[in-house]
Amino acid sequence: MAGETEDLLVELKGITKSYGPVQSLRGVDLTLRRGEVLGLVGDNGAGKSTLMKVLAGAVQHGGGEIRVHGRPVRFANPADAQAEKIGIVYQDLALCDTIDVAGNLFLGREPRKGPFIDRRTMHEQAAQILSDLHVKVSSTHQEIGTLSGGQRQTVAIARAVSFKPDVLILDEPTAALAVAEVESVLRLITDVAARGVGVILITHRLQDLFRVCDRITVMYEGQSVDDVPIDQLDIEKLVALITRSEPQKAQKEVSP
Amino acid sequence: MTATTAPASTETTRQLARQQSWWERSNKATMVMAGVTAAVCVFFALASDTFLTFANVSNLATQVAPVLIVAVAMTFVITAGQIDLSVGSIIAFVSAVSAQLLAAGWDSSIVLIAGLVMGAGWGMVNGWFTAYAGIPAFIVTLATLSVIRGIALLTTQGFSVPIDFDTFFAQLGSARWLGLSSSAWIALVVVVLGLVVLHRTPFGQYVIGTGAAEESVRRAGVNVRRVKLMALTLSGLAAGIAGILVAARLGSGSANSAQGFELTVIAAVVLGGTSLFGGRGTVVGTLIGAILITVIANGLTLVGVSPFLTPIITGTVLLAVIWVNLRGKDIGQALRSLVAGR
Repeated sequence: MAGETEDLLVELKGITKSYGPVQSLRGVDLTLRRGEVLGLVGDNGAGKSTLMKVLAGAVQHGGGEIRVHGRPVRFANPADAQAEKIGIVYQDLALCDTIDVAGNLFLGREPRKGPFIDRRTMHEQAAQILSDLHVKVSSTHQEIGTLSGGQRQTVAIARAVSFKPDVLILDEPTAALAVAEVESVLRLITDVAARGVGVILITHRLQDLFRVCDRITVMYEGQSVDDVPIDQLDIEKLVALITRSEPQKAQKEVSP
Repeated sequence: MTATTAPASTETTRQLARQQSWWERSNKATMVMAGVTAAVCVFFALASDTFLTFANVSNLATQVAPVLIVAVAMTFVITAGQIDLSVGSIIAFVSAVSAQLLAAGWDSSIVLIAGLVMGAGWGMVNGWFTAYAGIPAFIVTLATLSVIRGIALLTTQGFSVPIDFDTFFAQLGSARWLGLSSSAWIALVVVVLGLVVLHRTPFGQYVIGTGAAEESVRRAGVNVRRVKLMALTLSGLAAGIAGILVAARLGSGSANSAQGFELTVIAAVVLGGTSLFGGRGTVVGTLIGAILITVIANGLTLVGVSPFLTPIITGTVLLAVIWVNLRGKDIGQALRSLVAGR
């Protein structure tokens, strides 16, 4: 798993970003390798989401360097990032409630037969994608609005995976899900990484990080402050890294 | 772009992709409306000897045509989460201006094309202000409702402009084929086109998506502004067609025609089960809604009650149906348990 350079998918060096006088990113370093799940943690306002928007092309960074497959790149818009095979699933999932599962998976790129949508092919391919990823829905004809939160999340991830990304960014995929649904999302993340995709996982659910991540990058006030393999951490140490306090003190602060 | 090209082979994928049953797919609000429409038709058939005669049914088809043509296009507009209040004014404008052009000696064929272009043109004006200037469609079309009819009134000074019976344009109004008027046939074609485009093409899918979650569709790389522009252009074009047919049938063009027409059209669309909030549309439902509204007016006239009862009953039915639709799920469940219990 460790550090051969050809495995390196993404390298961020000294990324900065200012919104007027507010400096929300003040020098972030981050690396991601093929088949790796990287946990990105930090308190609210640490700059995790901004950093991921930079990497997904939704926001343009000020200083610093983005390298993808070793090549320096600069994204002007999300399409540029998508062309570099970087996919992102935002917290709002970007699904349409009144359109069925297959329609959502292929929204904007429907298989066609002349001027018409080739529904048969679309549903067959959708079923293939979902069963490959072990996503549990009862039918590709189900409307998205009738699915549970976990099913919606897995469909959104399946949609992102169907673009065959090298890098997949997941923003709080397990927030507000029932326990069984968290399991299915975590299993899906492991499956996706096993296919060689580098996954960046943003979450506040620290226990999830220990389930799926290989490595944790910690952000604090717009900077990356730590980069630690998961086997050198336990939950108390992790909390201490996030809050920048001593483990003992953190334990007191955090334990209910 | 697509992820997999291999056909689904395993049992699970076939299971996943299988078509849902007819009951699962059907729009429950539309089913309720179909039932209500059937009941109303049965009532009028019993109450009036003439209701079910071919002459009256043919007459009904002619009456419903302009409403239906515009309502099909309005289904797209409302499904995309927009509204078009200016269709009545566009009908008045197109009928008045067409009559004036004919009076000025233009050839019928050119006037027909001009009528379509004028309708689509006003639709594009609505669409541009809505999609590209970011003004809500309700406000834009409320303004153009006033402006468009105003221009028609100004050019005709409020007078009705007669159309020469010898012109092809006027003959279009009285033309019949298999006992049905040209209006009815055109409406039928529009319904079929609407069905295919809304439910079978990517454009239809994007119309539905835009109404459901515009931002999601935009992020999927679809030009949602163009979708909205096209939807409103369609309703303008449909109003242009209706304006031509109305003028041809009456043998005159008037800037005062089709007052309040937009409300009849919107009522027909909503009665059919299309959601006013967007994201869910049905052309079949719109067909049923338009028929119901026309049947109520036609039937009440035949039965011989006061014509002033028509708007009261139409409005009451509209309110009742919206009430039912808001509780559509409960009613769907009740119906299902009824069917299961049998």
